[in-house]
Amino acid sequence: MNGPENETYVCRCEEVTREEILAAIADGATTITGIKKRTHAGMGLCQGRTCRRIISQMLSGVRPAAEIYPPTTRPPVRTAKISEFINEEDD
Amino acid sequence: MTTRTADVAIIGGGVIGTSIAYRLAQAGKKVVLAERYDFAAGATGSCDQMVSMQSKNPGIHLQLASDSADMFTTLGKELDYDIEYFRHGGMITIENETEMKVMTDFVKRQRENGVDVDIISRDEASKRQKGLAKHLLGCTFCAKDGEVNPYKLNLGFAKAARKAGAELLIDAEVTGFKTEGGKVKGIQTSQGDVDAEIVILAAGAWSPLLGTQLGIKLPIKPRRGQIVITEPVAPFVTGDVLSAQYIVAKYHPETLKDSTNRGIQLGVGLALTQSAKGDILIGATREFVDYDLKNTREGIREILKNATRIVPGLKGINIIRVMSGVRPYTPDGLPLVGFVNGIEGLFMAAGHEGDGIALSAITGKIVAGLICEGKAYRDVSAMDPNRFDLFGEKWSDN
Repeated sequence: MNGPENETYVCRCEEVTREEILAAIADGATTITGIKKRTHAGMGLCQGRTCRRIISQMLSGVRPAAEIYPPTTRPPVRTAKISEFINEEDD
Repeated sequence: MTTRTADVAIIGGGVIGTSIAYRLAQAGKKVVLAERYDFAAGATGSCDQMVSMQSKNPGIHLQLASDSADMFTTLGKELDYDIEYFRHGGMITIENETEMKVMTDFVKRQRENGVDVDIISRDEASKRQKGLAKHLLGCTFCAKDGEVNPYKLNLGFAKAARKAGAELLIDAEVTGFKTEGGKVKGIQTSQGDVDAEIVILAAGAWSPLLGTQLGIKLPIKPRRGQIVITEPVAPFVTGDVLSAQYIVAKYHPETLKDSTNRGIQLGVGLALTQSAKGDILIGATREFVDYDLKNTREGIREILKNATRIVPGLKGINIIRVMSGVRPYTPDGLPLVGFVNGIEGLFMAAGHEGDGIALSAITGKIVAGLICEGKAYRDVSAMDPNRFDLFGEKWSDN
């Protein structure tokens, strides 16, 4: 799986290459979450904003595109300081 | 669909199921494991990374954790997989005289169990951990506390199990059991049947749902833990930092029942640690909310209020993510490990609550011992599932 194409970084935050994503698929991952657990792709600062779509496209080779669900979305929408959370009041 | 034949069928591909699969395959058993989603999809994938001695009740619970920690030192090498196990030590923060009294007794009992734990002053604790609050009276310290990457541990067990000959099916939901005259004869899955004389139920918090299909009522309940994750930062947290409040929430929830503090009502206790790549994990709530896996604003806020009261130095760090998962709670805090009387062939290995990671290594060894040799390396009768009335309603439900 060598070659410049496979050395391309898919997840820049966690520095995960295309080759590593392909290895995770070969290991049996069929979901974005499965890729995440095996490679940490999508677990960094941007939380998969860019790589999620590329990984979905790569997974479409092993699973019908219609069955590739986005991973669980959880707060925060963007990074926020801890001090901001402790001072917030209920709506 | 193919019907597979095995000596043992295992339900659940978390750290417990895969640890067992590995040990049984290693002992020469033909093993087929069925996992509904994927490895690290349940509690294994939504926990912190602690392999903590100090959070275990002195007695068999602590003894097993200590034996498990001994296995962790060579486990990565044995599995031929980097599980990122480090032994940086751990502390439990003490904020008031009541906690000091509870922890003094806890430490005394831990020492009687041969685990080296001390109470150190706030000044000594500050040399280990920056950013601690001024009001702390001191901390306990145990050098044997460690951390492991839970995903990698799970994947490492799975890889080693496959290498040893086990067949591990992911995306394979168990839809039913095969039975014959009060005996379990196998499982039915979305990828076909597995015929086996022994079926191990290692589905964590989801085990009771499968138990129902066999007419047993397991005393396991899902207990939600919410955890907050920060951006990667330079080394800040040394090892594991828990609060004495966590010990109280874990072992004496009844004493907190009448509290009006929202954090206490949610079972919040500090569980602080930093991953190898720099993210700080800040936990956790302990809530009974059935199988609700959502995070709540209130839960996140109370976790952070609690954490910054004890470690104010965290305030300026950014959060990138929160997570939430359910742990398999049992009324006496010990898992169910052993054959079920009354249903021949059914073996339980679930109910580790927040100790699944720490106890994963030793659980695999115990189960392999019980199944292959008829006995474990030590007396594990305290975990016998038959201590609960599995066919009635007699077990306490709090």
